[in-house]
Amino acid sequence: MNNAMIGYILGSVLKIEGILLLGPCAAALWFKENVGWYYLCVAAFCILCGWLLTRRKPEDQVFYLKEGCVATALSWLALSFFGGLPMYISGQIPGFIDSMFEAASGFTTTGATILGDVEHLARTTLLWRSMTHWIGGMGILVFLLAIVPLSGGSNMNIMRAESPGPSVGKLVPKVRHTARILYLIYIGLTVIEMILLYCGGMSFFESVNHAMATAGTGGFGVRNDSLASYTPYLQWVVTIFMILFGVNFNAYYFIIFRQFRKAFGMEEVRYYLLIVIMAIGLVFFCVRPMYASSSDGIRHAAFQVSSIMSTTGFSTVDFDLWPQTARTIMVLLMFIGACAGSTAGGMKVSRIVIAAKTVKKELAAYLHPKSIKKIRFEGKPVEHEVVRSINVYIITYAVVFAVSVFFVSFNNCNLETNVTAVAATINNVGPGLAMVGPTLNYGHFSMFTKCVLIFDMIAGRLELFPLLMLFHPGIWKEAARSSKLQKVLHRDKNQA
Amino acid sequence: MGSKRDKQGMKIIIVGAGNVGSTLVEQLAHEGHDITIIDIVARKIQAITDNYDVMGLVGNGASYSVLMEAGIEQADLMIAVTEADELNLLCCTVAKRVGRCAAIARVRMPDYSKESRYLQEQLGLALVINPEMETAKEAARILALPTALEVVSFAHGQAELIKLAIPENNMIAGMSLEEIGKKLPQRALVCAVERNGEVFIPSGSFRLQAGDTLSFVASRRNIRTFMDTFGFKSRRVRDTLIVGGSKASYYLAQELLHAGVAVKIIEQNRERCDELSILLPKAVIINGDGTDEALLKEEGIERADAFVPLTGIDEVNIILTLYAKKISGAKVITKINRMNFKSVVQSLELGSVIYPRYITAEAIVAYVRAKNESRSDSIETLYHMFDHRVEAIEFVVNEESEVTGKPLKEMRQRMKKELLIACINRDGHIIIPSGHDSIEVGDTVMIVTKNAGMQSLTEILN
Repeated sequence: MNNAMIGYILGSVLKIEGILLLGPCAAALWFKENVGWYYLCVAAFCILCGWLLTRRKPEDQVFYLKEGCVATALSWLALSFFGGLPMYISGQIPGFIDSMFEAASGFTTTGATILGDVEHLARTTLLWRSMTHWIGGMGILVFLLAIVPLSGGSNMNIMRAESPGPSVGKLVPKVRHTARILYLIYIGLTVIEMILLYCGGMSFFESVNHAMATAGTGGFGVRNDSLASYTPYLQWVVTIFMILFGVNFNAYYFIIFRQFRKAFGMEEVRYYLLIVIMAIGLVFFCVRPMYASSSDGIRHAAFQVSSIMSTTGFSTVDFDLWPQTARTIMVLLMFIGACAGSTAGGMKVSRIVIAAKTVKKELAAYLHPKSIKKIRFEGKPVEHEVVRSINVYIITYAVVFAVSVFFVSFNNCNLETNVTAVAATINNVGPGLAMVGPTLNYGHFSMFTKCVLIFDMIAGRLELFPLLMLFHPGIWKEAARSSKLQKVLHRDKNQA
Repeated sequence: MGSKRDKQGMKIIIVGAGNVGSTLVEQLAHEGHDITIIDIVARKIQAITDNYDVMGLVGNGASYSVLMEAGIEQADLMIAVTEADELNLLCCTVAKRVGRCAAIARVRMPDYSKESRYLQEQLGLALVINPEMETAKEAARILALPTALEVVSFAHGQAELIKLAIPENNMIAGMSLEEIGKKLPQRALVCAVERNGEVFIPSGSFRLQAGDTLSFVASRRNIRTFMDTFGFKSRRVRDTLIVGGSKASYYLAQELLHAGVAVKIIEQNRERCDELSILLPKAVIINGDGTDEALLKEEGIERADAFVPLTGIDEVNIILTLYAKKISGAKVITKINRMNFKSVVQSLELGSVIYPRYITAEAIVAYVRAKNESRSDSIETLYHMFDHRVEAIEFVVNEESEVTGKPLKEMRQRMKKELLIACINRDGHIIIPSGHDSIEVGDTVMIVTKNAGMQSLTEILN
């Protein structure tokens, strides 16, 4: 295993995080808030650590999928640690685990908070929370790929480890250009949303925060009631952008290059929109009697559905109070999630569609045992390898889910709370039902539960395997062996 | 963003992920181009996209929809190197109709290769390459000068670059390059020396040792003078034994017969033997197993002047080479298609080795570089020597530039290190340049350098 290269990538990620931490520092300067100093200290510390790790570019830059996974998992752990540090040392969030939870929830674009009252937080911290969403949404390593020239073809292994979806395709031949295109689309959409919000009467600071939180499909708000107190126009803008950020970004690439047929022919996007519309219709049907007018009803239904489906987690009403059918639809949508290749979490529409097609194929095989049929997706036959990996993914997902629910049950909350707490974190949604509903928070859980949920959030964001790899003893053995080998080589070199 | 082009990024589509296809991906991706590779076998595409930063596409490269998906409309170059000649030609034809790209096709069947010029003109192809034929030509050049390990030709065959190993007790060992120059009646230039695995672009004071491998350039007529002066015995090859009746064997036999060398081909397949005997009436075709020791002895491997195993299996070729080296004094040339375990192959000291995949890739890389930066000069040929550590590039000087019209000694200060102007071809006249010579418009100039990736002659300056 190429330890030197993993260290180098980790260092680069820390450097970037350090630079990004200067964002809240600037906000602190603007709003004249003292907590900015803590952010500045952590930023300097990050840059220093990053600089130490990247002082020497490793000679051997080849790395394989395993290095990609390990580098990604470690980067995300480090990211959450250093992201939570300023909140802890500045005293904005008193508990250490709590600040880690908040940072992990931010970077993984979950938006689950342990804070009951966010309005008393410094605006510096609020901006940093929203920034973590924005950074985590597209992925920091994808950002790294876009700006740092890594030679060799193996950098696809990083993209594969961090990008959501069953198979990762490139838009253009070079990873670097692909990453740049993705980020440009991402930045473009974020800025458009920001302008629309600002024009709708939201203050500049709040529009920046909400635009970033929507872009990453995160869900940290700046008010205690999330988006309930904003005008219907602003709620509609956020609704539409939540849906848009759940769409596979390839579609935008095709639209930019005027390949409309390709963009609108994407099977996954079609299914995604179909599910969104159907869910809105059903929820609207259920909650219609609760609201004064149909327009209110449809707005709240659309907002909540797109918020949960895109795994954002904003809310305009407390959907925990909705009828049982509507609540159930919400929970089911959490699991589906949005498209692969977007910033959203969940299992992803493409996986669900392929899995459903596998079931259909299996049924057909009962009918005609010797029939041969290939599953098709996006107009192409799906490789057996992809189907297999999706099946394994779903099984692993179920196992991680079940084990987490068991661990969370130690809190002695009711089952609904436990199940939706895990569902909302592993799918990177944010709010669940009952005691973790939209108006409540995760603050009442024990430290241990919070750690379990931090794990779930990161595992969900990285799609399980990169993080689970860290728990495979083979990885550590190999890392230890190659570091020993490197030492020997180094010594031999020195002797020579 | 996607349409923005980096300085040296051409959009290239390669159809066929075989030996040559993957070598091309390796070399062209290394030079920074945007590559899309198409093959019908998903596994091959997977293997390539895992290892190189390129886009893979599974499908038939001759189909319109697949080419559209690969972005043929924006592509600059299409290279078709699938197994089948017809498919390659079809790919290029479709590509030319749909996009505005240049097209290169690999065509290796003798039926078509005779008409390659016609095909190239009629189909508007930028290049038609025939690796089998090039392999055969390279083998024939080496057989014409059996002491050499490698012979590559420049300036339309007027000049050659010869690689030699210096044996023990040879008089050249211990001499400096200046002394060598003084001893020679006509000029020849030592361009590169490999010693203990390290390659040097030597200066005049460099002293040669026994065991070194050197490359020198000279006009074709003067090569023998060089060899004779320094006692490199070179006896003519009068008869050659070839194992395997592949296309390359056919081309090689043809070249050799043309040069008056007797040819014997051992081929296992009866029908192929029949075909060969019709195609090559002057050659002796033997139907039998070329890996059979008794048969090889019967056919006189011990007495043959040259032995060329050209089977499709590298391991067999290597074993046959080692066997031939053991029991006979014949000059042996080994063909290696798939280059794995490079270090092991090198340690075997096989002597002359030919890599068809590199021959093809070099021709295409040369074309790509020339196309990418065709301003005042263009690349005519490109060879990689000493395991890709040294490049020999031939430039055609089309226009005046900062390197033309000045005596070389004036530019010497500003020239890059590890770079040598090896020869200048002026109207078919080969000049091995000294400080007083200069580069003029219309010349072709051959550069030997360790700075890989040169695209333009002006890059010789710092």
